[in-house]
Amino acid sequence: MALLLRTVARQGLCLSRSQFGVLYRHVVPMGTTANEEMNKFWAKNTRLNRPVSPHISIYKWSIPMMMSISHRGTGVALSSGISAFALAALVLPESYPYYLDLIHSMTFGPQFLAFSKFALAFPVAYHTFNGIRHLAWDLGKGFKIPEVYRSGYIVVALTVLTSIGLAAM
Amino acid sequence: MLTQIYVMFFMQYFIPSTAVLLCNTHLSRGLVAYQKNRDVEPFRLTAGRIHAASSHSTVSSSRAASMHWTGERVLSIVLLMDYSIAAALTLHGHWGIGQVLTDYVYGDVKVKLAKAGVLLLSTTTFFGLCYFNYHDVGLCKAVAMLWQI
Repeated sequence: MALLLRTVARQGLCLSRSQFGVLYRHVVPMGTTANEEMNKFWAKNTRLNRPVSPHISIYKWSIPMMMSISHRGTGVALSSGISAFALAALVLPESYPYYLDLIHSMTFGPQFLAFSKFALAFPVAYHTFNGIRHLAWDLGKGFKIPEVYRSGYIVVALTVLTSIGLAAM
Repeated sequence: MLTQIYVMFFMQYFIPSTAVLLCNTHLSRGLVAYQKNRDVEPFRLTAGRIHAASSHSTVSSSRAASMHWTGERVLSIVLLMDYSIAAALTLHGHWGIGQVLTDYVYGDVKVKLAKAGVLLLSTTTFFGLCYFNYHDVGLCKAVAMLWQI
């Protein structure tokens, strides 16, 4: 509804404010959408080549900050991995067992294999457990700062334990 | 197979433990049927009418048949799992990368291009995973095989 008002306003069809005021007392027709405002901001500032103020380079890193970007990082990494796997399945000539035998024949040490399994399991476990933490937030639970830190530590602990457990299998 | 199910329904009144088994998923039906084959002998009243298992070879072939039946159900669930996982992963990834784009890409043209690119990637990924599920071992089996190296 607000969008409709803004569109009407922009096209100059807007009638006097009082007329709108009767029906929509608290709505003020605007000239642009939020998206348009944002695009205007970025277009202007990149055109003028303005430097961006330091933010992540100067702000003190906290556990919640690190966990948040790690959630995004693991998500992107896992998604890329799955896409790479799917593309490989389409492009590569041989079947999966063939390539698995290839890896098997390379006689890697058991520690290297265990570490590789750990490295594969870790992002999956972290993203899953932190994902559950996110779902709890979506239900409105656990926003107090001590709770945020506590749930964060639990997620990290569960991740490490699960990854070690999976790597041992 | 139908006779086995009929007998199972009768059996829960004679052997209460089988009632608990019946309440479980249909996967366990194969196992219950397997158990039933051994219990059926003393209960001639119902079993004699419905299941004429007298010779050992008939019982053992019924056992093999019921295990095969279970195997078929397990495979169906696994296949269902393979495609469900493929769908869930690609959709979740698609929406996730979409959020990353929204955060870091500005400008109408760039946003449109980026979204089109991600859509193409997601579609290809889903198609590739389904291809893998159909022509190759399938996702669940692939992980299991990888972990056995």
